[in-house]
Amino acid sequence: MPEIRVTPLGAGQDVGRSCILVSIAGKNVMLDCGMHMGFSDDRRFPDFSYITRSGRLTDFLDCVIISHFHLDHCGALPYFSEMVGYDGPIYMTQPTQAICPILLEDYRKIAVDKKGEANFFTSQMIKDCMKKVVAVHLHQTVQVDDELEIKAYYAGHVLGAAMFQIKVGSESVVYTGDYNMTPDRHLGAAWIDKCRPNLLITESTYATTIRDSKRCRERDFLKKVLIPVFALGRAQELCILLETFWERMDLKAPIYFSTGLTEKANHYYKLFIPWTNQKIRKTFVQRNMFEFKHIKAFDRAFADSPGPMVVFATPGMLHAGQSLQIFRKWAGNEKNMVIMPGYCVQGTVGHKILSGQRKLEMEGRQVLEVKMQVEYMSFSAHADAKGIMQLVGQAEPENVLLVHGEAKKMEFLKQKIEQEFRVSCYMPANGETVTLPTSPSIPVGVSLGLLKREMAQGLLPDAKKPRLLHGTLIMKDSNFRLVSSEQALKELGLAEHQLRFTCRVHLHDTRKEQETAVRVYSHLKSVLKDHCVQHLPDGSVTVESILIQAAAHSEDPGTKVLLVSWTYQDEELGSYLTSLLKKGLPQAS
Amino acid sequence: MLFGEVGPLGGAAWTAPAVRSGWIQGLRTLAQHPSALRFLAACGAVDTIFSLQGDSSLFVASAAGQLLVHILDLAMRGPARGRCSPQACDWPACAQKIVCHIEDSLCSIATPQVTQALNVLTTVFGHCRGLWTQGLWVRLSPLVARLLEKDPVPASHSLVDLLLSVARSSVPSSDRGLWETLAQTLSHLSPTQAGPLALGILKLQDCPQALRTQAFGILLQPLACVLEAAAQAPGPPGLLGGAAGDPMTADTLLCSKSACVGLLCCALTHLGLLQPLPQRPSPWPQAPLLGAAVTVLRLCSGSVAPTSDVGGRLCAILVGCGRVQRAALDFLGALSQGAGPQESVTQVFSVLLEYLMSPESSSMVLKKAFQATLRWLLSSPKTPGCCDLDPRTQLFLRELLPVLQKRLCSPCWEVRDSGLEFLTQMTRHCGGQAGFRQALLASEVPELTKQLLQDPESYVRASAVTATGQLSSWALLAAPASPERPGAQQKSLLVELLHVLCADSEGFPRRAVMQVFTEWLRDGHADVAEDPERFVARVLQAASRDPDWEVRAQGLELALVFLGQLLGPRGSHCPCAVALPETAPPGTLAQALPEAAPPGTLAQALQVLCRVQLFEFAFRALFDCDRPVAQKSCDLLLFLRAKAAPCGSPQEAGDSPNVASVEATLQRWQAGEQGQPLGYLEPGAVMAVLRSIDLEGLRDTLAESSDHVEKSPQSLLQDMLAAVGVLGENEADCY
Repeated sequence: MPEIRVTPLGAGQDVGRSCILVSIAGKNVMLDCGMHMGFSDDRRFPDFSYITRSGRLTDFLDCVIISHFHLDHCGALPYFSEMVGYDGPIYMTQPTQAICPILLEDYRKIAVDKKGEANFFTSQMIKDCMKKVVAVHLHQTVQVDDELEIKAYYAGHVLGAAMFQIKVGSESVVYTGDYNMTPDRHLGAAWIDKCRPNLLITESTYATTIRDSKRCRERDFLKKVLIPVFALGRAQELCILLETFWERMDLKAPIYFSTGLTEKANHYYKLFIPWTNQKIRKTFVQRNMFEFKHIKAFDRAFADSPGPMVVFATPGMLHAGQSLQIFRKWAGNEKNMVIMPGYCVQGTVGHKILSGQRKLEMEGRQVLEVKMQVEYMSFSAHADAKGIMQLVGQAEPENVLLVHGEAKKMEFLKQKIEQEFRVSCYMPANGETVTLPTSPSIPVGVSLGLLKREMAQGLLPDAKKPRLLHGTLIMKDSNFRLVSSEQALKELGLAEHQLRFTCRVHLHDTRKEQETAVRVYSHLKSVLKDHCVQHLPDGSVTVESILIQAAAHSEDPGTKVLLVSWTYQDEELGSYLTSLLKKGLPQAS
Repeated sequence: MLFGEVGPLGGAAWTAPAVRSGWIQGLRTLAQHPSALRFLAACGAVDTIFSLQGDSSLFVASAAGQLLVHILDLAMRGPARGRCSPQACDWPACAQKIVCHIEDSLCSIATPQVTQALNVLTTVFGHCRGLWTQGLWVRLSPLVARLLEKDPVPASHSLVDLLLSVARSSVPSSDRGLWETLAQTLSHLSPTQAGPLALGILKLQDCPQALRTQAFGILLQPLACVLEAAAQAPGPPGLLGGAAGDPMTADTLLCSKSACVGLLCCALTHLGLLQPLPQRPSPWPQAPLLGAAVTVLRLCSGSVAPTSDVGGRLCAILVGCGRVQRAALDFLGALSQGAGPQESVTQVFSVLLEYLMSPESSSMVLKKAFQATLRWLLSSPKTPGCCDLDPRTQLFLRELLPVLQKRLCSPCWEVRDSGLEFLTQMTRHCGGQAGFRQALLASEVPELTKQLLQDPESYVRASAVTATGQLSSWALLAAPASPERPGAQQKSLLVELLHVLCADSEGFPRRAVMQVFTEWLRDGHADVAEDPERFVARVLQAASRDPDWEVRAQGLELALVFLGQLLGPRGSHCPCAVALPETAPPGTLAQALPEAAPPGTLAQALQVLCRVQLFEFAFRALFDCDRPVAQKSCDLLLFLRAKAAPCGSPQEAGDSPNVASVEATLQRWQAGEQGQPLGYLEPGAVMAVLRSIDLEGLRDTLAESSDHVEKSPQSLLQDMLAAVGVLGENEADCY
């Protein structure tokens, strides 16, 4: 029985470390290869030893697909390809391919700098890993091999994020990665066509949330000071937001962004402008939305300048580098404020202050008293419950599987999906395998001649009703064609042989053979009113293709032998007649 | 009850795999002592673990299997440590129970159960060392052998793992029957399944020759079939000494594309792994293997058209197959470690050239082709009596360089980068060989490499920096300089690289420049040797401002090399003892110092260090927000202090106003205010400051990763307290 198997190694009832193994029609694909920001030991990467016990990964996996550049989706990639030893192809969109190495490099630097890790992947490994990447365009069908094909769809969320359809023959799986069904200031909404996959694997971060409009959040956003962000992604959304607000309100306080990053971001957003939303694309000719009037490059010395300012600094969780430096400087003043625009994992200063800690033990046994205001404001770009339902409605899958969310919230969404769409919904934990039986449909081409013959019989085809069609199935070069028997004989250069079944029926009848045949004829004529029953001049009787001949019994003159013979097409009628004749003929009146 | 349905299995929390996983972990922590084990066994824990072996979560199932092994091992070590009888009937009840369970599972008709048993046994023989393991094998080996009678063999991968695990343990010394089982398994499994077992057998240190021959035959079969299928006419005896290829292998190769690709890739990889091992089969069929690798590559490129039916079908399957191309190129590269007949080597070079030239080659295939080419070039024999390349290699190089030139202009950054990496390595190893120099200088490759310093892709710029740096070290960068301006081109490279260091927006090229500069300084590059002091001053000035901590750290590395040259290497204590002009390598600072007489004195060296503003750089780095930079600076200053200490303090200026101002500035730097410069420093003041800073203490603080703060019990407690009732909303709002 063919089946689709899905095993999350990460992101199963969990957020972070996305890594999902899919086995479809004998092909094995890994969806995302992320890391977990909450761990700094070997738990940060998925346990790849579970992928296969049968030798090398490169021989087992047909390809790896990365949905977008966030580290929880690609952070383990260099480790997987250069240290664990996967040597096959890696697919991602072009923006992801361009931005991924920057974030991986950033991550490596932090791991080596802050944690002092020696056995971590190197810059060279990141580069070697990126060389294995094959870039895909939106809506382009990419043939991984003769049987496996993939196709990318726009996912919103961050620049270059994509959903992927994986197809082998008639079986398909769609993996959404992270997506957003509502457009924001710089990106459009996710979209997928009605591809009716066997399985839709969707993220479910906001499985129970229906989010408020963005407007009220924007109104709160006024007197901020330090905004720790990651280099690319939400940072650009926030920059556009502030730029627009400053313009509208004619504000004078300077906004700074860590040196080099604005340039880098601009570069990529300009390069991949088709990936942004319509408004940005439209205005691009007159004004590049990523060239900011109010946002200037930040210099270390500015941190000591008096007066108000807003500073975007990396990294986003206040765990190292410039954002932490500025935070340490400004934490003591209650007039200052830090806004955390996203999630912070345990162990980071960001996590500590969000959980209400006000006295932080810093390195060197210093205690830092946090007097500044601490705010949390979500600018994460995931689909909410409504959006997820919308996507399921759009794709019309046969089954749904939830990943990248918390178990409790998933449970709620699972029920909702099952009720509304009448499809099975699964939510495996990490390491659990979901197996879905599939009935593969095998496409068969029907010859024009055969179709014309069917039409000639006056039966117009009806798309909604299955129709029985007789013909000869020719299987050649993995193609299936149904043609008329005559055409098949001609094509294959074969002679026709007719296969007939024969059966002897003994009748007690003392009359001559000819008379027995007449009696048989009359009996059948009376019983089989809808069939064409004939008495031929040679004395034999026919019913359709069935031939009945009467002969004398060699030993018993009081018994006649009826030889009944029929072709395989009339097998049913043949057996019926035999059983009818076996019952004997009615007495002559 | 602690276990079973009324125990944890009945609880609602049990449905969460994380809970089951945690339960196993807890049990494992508990089961460390025989009495704990007896308690657990009496409470029915073992039955629960049996049931968890079939858990829906892979992680839980695997952990349960490992826990069983742990319990079995603990039970067998028991009170009479290490002296448990190999006779199974004497074993403790708990161990008996586990072994019976394994026996039942091995006899099961359900493959998952057989797999579980085999996996448990694999761990047993891989990790447990007691004599009892031999007894266990005696008891279980008939059941394992019986698996081979089934068709298909169930759980073949796990069976292979188990047999190899047993073969690596102490069992073979007592049970020669194991070799027979291995031989049977080899012949029962399909060619694809048998490959890993064959490789495992050949890696064993000690095993019968007949088995090794059988195993090697299995690895060679697919390639033998390829050679046979592609042969235009009956050639010399092939891989298997002229014996016909195994029909089963041939069937696998031809039945479908995926089976063919899978089998060939496995065979190529396994043979490639075997090649460098000392225990690889001998004689090693180097020439036929080279022939096979070349044939596979030619079938993939479509450049051979076999006349036989089988050959034609194989060609149709393999043509354009990137996976096989990559595996075959890796294998070909591995084969470079052995010699080959002249004819084969010519074929290797020709197929490599074909791949490097082909427009069909993907960037990954090209990368592997470059790597294989490099390996062959570096292993090619040198002309007797001289260290130059042999004529055949030279001829190949002349054909190769125009191809490299073309690849350096590829629209794919991956290809340009792989080309540059190849060039760097080639130059590093062959830069001094006349044949290579001639061929390179006659080509446009050096000029193109220099142009790639302006490449839009930062990875390529970084590789171009490394390549030009290497070319320049061997004076290979420019056409012979004009008599009027000797070395003009070379000088401009230094300026150009300095420009990259100051202006490139990406870290990779700047880091590459620092590495080149450090190498230049260490090796006494001509341009550096001209005025090392000025060179170091310029580089340190640029590096100190760099936003990338790795560039700053590399700056300290360069400073350390400079210090070493000035004061003698690490380990020798006093610079006064080092006679600089004699011991320093040619072209280093020592040669450039003669006018600063007398050479070798600490005061003079310190003057130089002050002039190049090394101290300003090092002190700033000491308080750098990035730990590795601070650590490196700390090491450097400790080295300097150790060097200087035994010589006494020249012009000690412990309480001069200069020292006080330096210390005040450093304190401000430490507090994070790094705006103010240090200004010009007197050597005496530097030494005084160096002695006053607690460098050892700082080194110890820096040695602790930042995790030690986060992981301190107090910090964790604060986290836990803070987490109660907070953060509900924020938990999953990530990234």
